[in-house]
Amino acid sequence: MKKISKEDMNRFIQSLLSDYTVYAPVNIDGIFSFKPITNFQGIDLNYQNSKKPPKEIFFPQSETMFEYEKGKVTSAEKVSRKRILLGIRPCDAKANLLLDNVFAGEDYQDVYYINKRENTIIIGLGCRRPLSTCFCTSFGGSPFSRDGLDILLIDIGNKYIVDVVTDKGKEILTDKFTEASEEEVKLAEKIKRETEKRIKSEVKIEGVKEKLDTMFESPFWDKLSERCLRCAVCSYLCPTCHCFDIADEAKDSQGRRIRNWDSCMFPLFTLQTSGHNPRPTDKERMRQRVMHKFNYFIGNYKRAACVGCGRCILNCPVNIDIRKVLKEILTS
Amino acid sequence: MQEVQRKIREKARNLLLAGSVDFVIGFEEGALLLRASPVFIHKENDVEKLIWDSFCENNLAAYLTKIGNKRVAVVAKGCDSRSIVALIVEGQIKREQIVVIGIPCQGMIDRRRIEKEVEGEILEVKEKSDEILVKGDSFEKVFKKEDYLYPSCRTCKHHNPVISDILIGKEVKERAQVDEYAEVDEYEKKSVDERWDYFNKEVNKCIRCYACRQACPMCYCEECFVDNSYPRWLEKGLDSSDLAVWHIIRAYHQAGRCVDCGSCERACPMEINLRFLTKKINKEVKNYFNFKTGLDFAIPPPLATFNVEDRQDFIDSGE
Amino acid sequence: MRNPYLPIPVKVKKTFIESEDRMLKTLDLIFLNKENKENFKFMPGQFCEISLWGKGEAPFGIASSPLEKDYLRFTVNRVGIVTTALHYLKEGDGLGIRGPLGNYYPIELFKGKNIVIIGGGFAFTTLRALTKYLLAYREDFKDITIIYGARTPGMLLYKEELKEWERREDLKVCITVDKGDKGWQGLVGFVPTIIERKAPSPEDAYAVICGPPIMIKFTLPKLIALGFPPERIYTSLEMRMKCGIGKCGRCNIGRFYVCKDGPVFNYAQLEKLPKEY
Repeated sequence: MKKISKEDMNRFIQSLLSDYTVYAPVNIDGIFSFKPITNFQGIDLNYQNSKKPPKEIFFPQSETMFEYEKGKVTSAEKVSRKRILLGIRPCDAKANLLLDNVFAGEDYQDVYYINKRENTIIIGLGCRRPLSTCFCTSFGGSPFSRDGLDILLIDIGNKYIVDVVTDKGKEILTDKFTEASEEEVKLAEKIKRETEKRIKSEVKIEGVKEKLDTMFESPFWDKLSERCLRCAVCSYLCPTCHCFDIADEAKDSQGRRIRNWDSCMFPLFTLQTSGHNPRPTDKERMRQRVMHKFNYFIGNYKRAACVGCGRCILNCPVNIDIRKVLKEILTS
Repeated sequence: MQEVQRKIREKARNLLLAGSVDFVIGFEEGALLLRASPVFIHKENDVEKLIWDSFCENNLAAYLTKIGNKRVAVVAKGCDSRSIVALIVEGQIKREQIVVIGIPCQGMIDRRRIEKEVEGEILEVKEKSDEILVKGDSFEKVFKKEDYLYPSCRTCKHHNPVISDILIGKEVKERAQVDEYAEVDEYEKKSVDERWDYFNKEVNKCIRCYACRQACPMCYCEECFVDNSYPRWLEKGLDSSDLAVWHIIRAYHQAGRCVDCGSCERACPMEINLRFLTKKINKEVKNYFNFKTGLDFAIPPPLATFNVEDRQDFIDSGE
Repeated sequence: MRNPYLPIPVKVKKTFIESEDRMLKTLDLIFLNKENKENFKFMPGQFCEISLWGKGEAPFGIASSPLEKDYLRFTVNRVGIVTTALHYLKEGDGLGIRGPLGNYYPIELFKGKNIVIIGGGFAFTTLRALTKYLLAYREDFKDITIIYGARTPGMLLYKEELKEWERREDLKVCITVDKGDKGWQGLVGFVPTIIERKAPSPEDAYAVICGPPIMIKFTLPKLIALGFPPERIYTSLEMRMKCGIGKCGRCNIGRFYVCKDGPVFNYAQLEKLPKEY
């Protein structure tokens, strides 16, 4: 394990800016988001988690796929500059691995996503103060999980303990990263153990898929969708949601093809030109959301499409709590 | 508060037992602290779920446009009741379908301001008659309710429901002298560039989740203009011009219909100042047509009717 | 790494109005680059996302078989922005395609068996591809029966080819219309009724059925009643699609994506999936 003082860390980040685009948490009016920074002073690490998930670094909300003019096509898939993603939480890093199943799986390679993933070095920051809405441990995660990270930083006061997870992470280290002493490592381990115990929220995921297999026609969905407003807050703020829309924005035959985030909660999502809609009301759409995350995704990739980050719970305008939903599914 | 809560449960139970309504829309305890959550009560055994406190921030009239032919009782604050009147005037629901359980409202607490003023997560909340006590791991703080109301509640002039079939709670003294357009006046003093910069800064936070639209009782169009494909008025991405168009047109569609309940602002995850435009439009409607939404069943919304005396000075006569 | 979202440039070789109401039009497309043409290998049942510059993309079943080397045939029903723009294309106009996408009819399973092909309306497109393919390798299959129905004689697709097929000895062709016209000499009746009348044998046979949901709703029980087991009845489903490669999340039925795990499914598979299509 290595270590680095916080001042040296700031200098390190500053030095990275010459070769990399550095995305880090930025505080604008109390809302944190991952944005490219021009100076290490723009970073604010005094946060629980960002509002919008860092999936937007690999899968932007609006992304030009290619431009065309009179039949000549120019693809926008190249990544012009290598990137660093700094300060991502372990739950979001795990979510990226789930998205890899969709975008970088066996069938068809999504070059836009893959190019960004391959050209990004991910430096995670372990959580010292999980919220009562955090339940990463119920989905195989933890506040200091290394999954999906190249480097994990553990804040032990005036310095970080640096856990170098991959070779990709090792390559960017400088000589300011020195060997941590045994006491420092022990302190980091102690902090990890104690923080993990602070996650009180426990969600039972075992048996949910099997129960959902039997529930497609259940009146459970009518009840659940009653208070839902059918906005896209949960879908857009979720680090594992991946649905998108493709549109052409053009004048005559010159323009671009762009993809934008979309949500299964919107009425147009499955509407066919004939007017037929396999999901005509809120009930079917709510059912699709829950089924996709806790049944279909598991059927395809053996993992639930949830990492327990809690953003949907914190931001839902009508305070729907997915933890309660999962509990009700098991007991219904 | 407790008394109001008890009465809401009692009335709801009576309505359900008598079969006067198919279900009751009210509030139940939120899954999070400082929150309440809308709830649909179908059986009289469930009425114990109903609560009333200073976190009942949603406008429940937003659910009334999807009840079909059902008969429904709905808990309504002052602003919510005005939305109900507006929906009836626009022909979206029938008066006979609704049993309005009106509650004179002292205002709802701005939970985001409270959360921002403490260091760390709030783990315990106690509500007293005019204070909120919050506790966390390393802090304990008391907030005076009237200092931490939502912006729309601070300038509210309709605390008491304008219609109700059942009225629960003591009437609240309306503050006739409050200038609800003071903030608009402040903005009007700024230059066009300053106002545009402010507006642009706000809308560029937008993530097109449409929580504002879904939370608003007056946004009930089967197909919203953003989904029209022929003609395609705007695109679905985060282009600055699209974000501006979305908010400007939505504000315009609210002219003569918005009751300034503030649900849009409260629903927005990015905390955008969504009442910036609608407040101004409300002021204009008041000045030009002497009209405020949701106060009178007999008066149609000004943009749905015309009067021979309406001003015409903005029409270019071509001379 | 190939970008699966980039359309391959093609141009229009020929267009042909199929139906009397002028809403159905066939387009034959050819590749601009020889390399694209050589690498484009597909099987009947697959589809392409056709891209119109400035308008958008839409999925269409490939109506030609892989043995028709000089063109890719698509038949387009005019219902929206992209399809209307497709109808306005002329010979030589450029556009793009992405494909071949999806899975295909299980030809390997069909070998040595009797095949019953049932089509309704303008859903006959991929069935044409299938028929042409089976005919090219005729000895590999036993009896082939085609039952195809449309609203009126003027709404039938591929009329010239249908006439050719009716003349063949190694093919049983039953064309029916809901309502005949003055010149019509053939069968009159809905497809489910004709199925009942002609009673194709389920013995050692596979059925492939493509048509509007209402036709499938009434035809499927007839096939089951005749003794066709669900695992030997195949169909091609339609859904709103965007990416066509199983990433945008919208065309799913249960955990399967119609664009990637379909559009060809058999009814044994569909029985296990939620009824959301």
